[in-house]
Amino acid sequence: MSSRSGGRVLHRVLVPRGAMIATRVGAVLAPDQAIGHWDRPLPPIRIDAARQLRCRAADLPGLMVASAGVRVQDGAVLARAPSGREVVAPASGWALTASRDGSILFAPAGAAETIIAHVRGRVRAIEEGAVLVEVPGARLPGIAGSGTAVHGELMLAVSGPDDELRATAIDTAAAGKILVGGSRASAEALTRARAIGVSGIVLGGILDKELREFEAAGQRRRDAGGASDPFGLLLLEGFGKVGFDPLLFGWLSAQAGRMASLSGADRLLYVYDAPAAPVRRALPQVGERVIGCRRPFQGRTGVLVAILDDLHAAPNGVLTRMALVRQEEGRLVVAPLANLEAMGTPAGR
Amino acid sequence: MATAEVSVLVDRGSTWTKASVVGQTRGRWRITAHAAQPSSWGDDDLLEALVRRLEPAADQRLAGRLRGLLADAPRISCHTPSRAGRLAVASLTGELSGAAARSAAEGAGWVVQEAVAPDDGRGIAERLAVLQRAPVDAWLLAGGFDDARSDQALELAGLVRAARDGTTAPVIWAGSQLMAAEVAACFEPGACTAVANPLPAPDIEHGATLRRHLEAMLEALLEPGGVRALTPFGFRRAVAELSRSQRLRILAVDLGARYASWVLADGDGSAEGWVQASGGIATSPHGGGSSAARIVRWLPVAADELTVRDALETYRARPVTLPYTDDELAILHAAVRGVLTAHRPALPPGGIDLLIGGGRTIAAAPTPAQAMQLLVDGVRPTGAFQVAIDPTGVLGPLGSLADGEIGEGMAELRDDLLTPLGAAVVCRGGRPGQPAMRVSVRRAGWPALPPIELRAGQVQVVELGPGQVAEVEIELDAEVSLGGPRGGRRLSATLTGGSVGLVLDARSTPPLVPRRSDDRRAVLGSWRDAFARETAPRASGTSESPR
Repeated sequence: MSSRSGGRVLHRVLVPRGAMIATRVGAVLAPDQAIGHWDRPLPPIRIDAARQLRCRAADLPGLMVASAGVRVQDGAVLARAPSGREVVAPASGWALTASRDGSILFAPAGAAETIIAHVRGRVRAIEEGAVLVEVPGARLPGIAGSGTAVHGELMLAVSGPDDELRATAIDTAAAGKILVGGSRASAEALTRARAIGVSGIVLGGILDKELREFEAAGQRRRDAGGASDPFGLLLLEGFGKVGFDPLLFGWLSAQAGRMASLSGADRLLYVYDAPAAPVRRALPQVGERVIGCRRPFQGRTGVLVAILDDLHAAPNGVLTRMALVRQEEGRLVVAPLANLEAMGTPAGR
Repeated sequence: MATAEVSVLVDRGSTWTKASVVGQTRGRWRITAHAAQPSSWGDDDLLEALVRRLEPAADQRLAGRLRGLLADAPRISCHTPSRAGRLAVASLTGELSGAAARSAAEGAGWVVQEAVAPDDGRGIAERLAVLQRAPVDAWLLAGGFDDARSDQALELAGLVRAARDGTTAPVIWAGSQLMAAEVAACFEPGACTAVANPLPAPDIEHGATLRRHLEAMLEALLEPGGVRALTPFGFRRAVAELSRSQRLRILAVDLGARYASWVLADGDGSAEGWVQASGGIATSPHGGGSSAARIVRWLPVAADELTVRDALETYRARPVTLPYTDDELAILHAAVRGVLTAHRPALPPGGIDLLIGGGRTIAAAPTPAQAMQLLVDGVRPTGAFQVAIDPTGVLGPLGSLADGEIGEGMAELRDDLLTPLGAAVVCRGGRPGQPAMRVSVRRAGWPALPPIELRAGQVQVVELGPGQVAEVEIELDAEVSLGGPRGGRRLSATLTGGSVGLVLDARSTPPLVPRRSDDRRAVLGSWRDAFARETAPRASGTSESPR
């Protein structure tokens, strides 16, 4: 069942272990605000410690002062010989191990990477590995996502819920925005969006192959040392060409211009200061508007006319509870009840 | 077993909930109604569904009271774990110690969030960075044979200590026993536990001890009050009891959307279990779009890779939904086959007596023939064995009973526990197109059939109804084996039928299929059709009905 709450919702901003958190409980965060920093480890160096201590290589492990793997500051003593000679850390970092060849494997800490909140709200708690933020706005869960956490102004990029997002529809005005696409976006459209500097895209459907191609292209660019522009993608309905739920598309259209945050990994979109989004609910009742969640009715909407008594077989023989749906175009179809969700506004159905 | 007139057995899965009403009929406990529906539909609707199933058969004096009776009835419940344990694996080699450690962890119900090894193509700094970012509940370090000493093991420990950064998640060392004390000394006292090396020597792999240790850790993490009520463990306990009481070697699989549970029980009450938190159809990489090309190869229908990828990913995103068309069902079944093949455990040399399939995709397949083919094609044990399904999903809840009650509960429901699909004789080896085995089937009360000769690549189903017993004589070609001792060319078995019959399967393992797609689909279609109907040659001049 979908949760599309308005009001205030809690969001976890994950932080790597070892990160320095630079916020506090009660602090009010902006999406682009830093909440801490993390020193990404640099390639390790080998310190010829036995030579510096003038000891036998095999004796080095017994002379270590710094524990293996514990973070030390620049100049901290790593090892000390009985003579008083010392080996000190050449930088802040981690002494990973003292080898029997007389060397210390030391991983220096690199330049601090800023950890951005990417959500707006008030810090409710700081936990191990996460900062818990209370977000004022509506939360829209997706069924799949990709990419990093991003934020930007919500912008409509298609005119209808069944329209495809074309590469030609994305221009420089979309830079920094979160685009509301349509029933599909090609790998070309995604690549163009990322190149232009679009923050993220919300889609009804996408071909799995095109999503994977887009992700693979990004990975190749990162592997080649290219810049990794933040970009997030959220999928709301299903894989393939699948239109938006029209109610939801209407709601997103009404929110255009509002600030939003998209987290591909968490499959979430937050729209700030927005009223609650249309709800989706499992087990629809007769008379409710429904949307299909699986082929051949995926993304198709209609009204639930009846739930058939007892179990009935789908065309492939699967026995299940079936429902009669009058689709928007007037056609009456039979679909598994498990493949339908009720659509409605939060206040009522 | 509950002493009330009615009990309800409930298996609450991550996507679907299965419930069965157990009531007394003519002095015996029977499953009188069953319902399965999305877990998100809630308890009220489940109760309504059970009442609807029960009403036509229930005593009319109970009309109008059924809902109340069921609502008040004692419940025997189990559920899928609400979340999996998360583990990071650091090993000296990715393919040897890393693979052995990962296999043990994934068989114990953990999800490996991150795995690093010096040969994984990443530098130390990158390995440290990914470990620092990995959200984990425990750390597993592995590497080195038991008599080996390596500075790299200490480097590994240093790397993990740096990534742990003072947090308290436990560490397990499952590597060279020679290094155990030194590795443990890299962590604060009590943080690191040494467990038997899953790869103690180049030619020995023994992950069972590590798997059991990890399973015990997971139990403490997820269900400190005991894991009996967790479906994978309940399923295992029930299968072990069935194996003990019937003195059967059983291989059982319960394949869900998220979890897969495998049990290998040896007939004396002991059972090895593998709980795979990422072994379900919606979570296993072998069921996903990345495996689409392989899945397309096993489709008897024409479907391009794009369609298959989208269908699989939609199912993974919405596992509660059901396939509607024949093509979608074929894609799902091909994915199930891939998942079963990828995760099946190694079988003992003596083979098994009974193969059980659980989980809705298998046990609620539209036809028994489809369930039989999924199990025989996916698990592919060799030998002669019975095949059954757990159609109502009661093994998990029954296994959640207290030790002293499982046997009683299963004995009381013995007639309703499993639905026999029949039996199978599966051989391996043989040259394509050449005779593989010659099978004589003698069925009590039926005219004798002429011997059935199967060529390698053929599969055939002989009619053998539920409860009907057949004496089967199998004569193997020189290059064909049933998995038993070498040299045994003639074997006999007593097999009992079921809703599908007796499957005689001389396809290889894995079955060989033509490269050309049209030919391949024709062969796959002929195998599907063979499972769906009896094709045994009739004895000349006789009718194929019992005397």
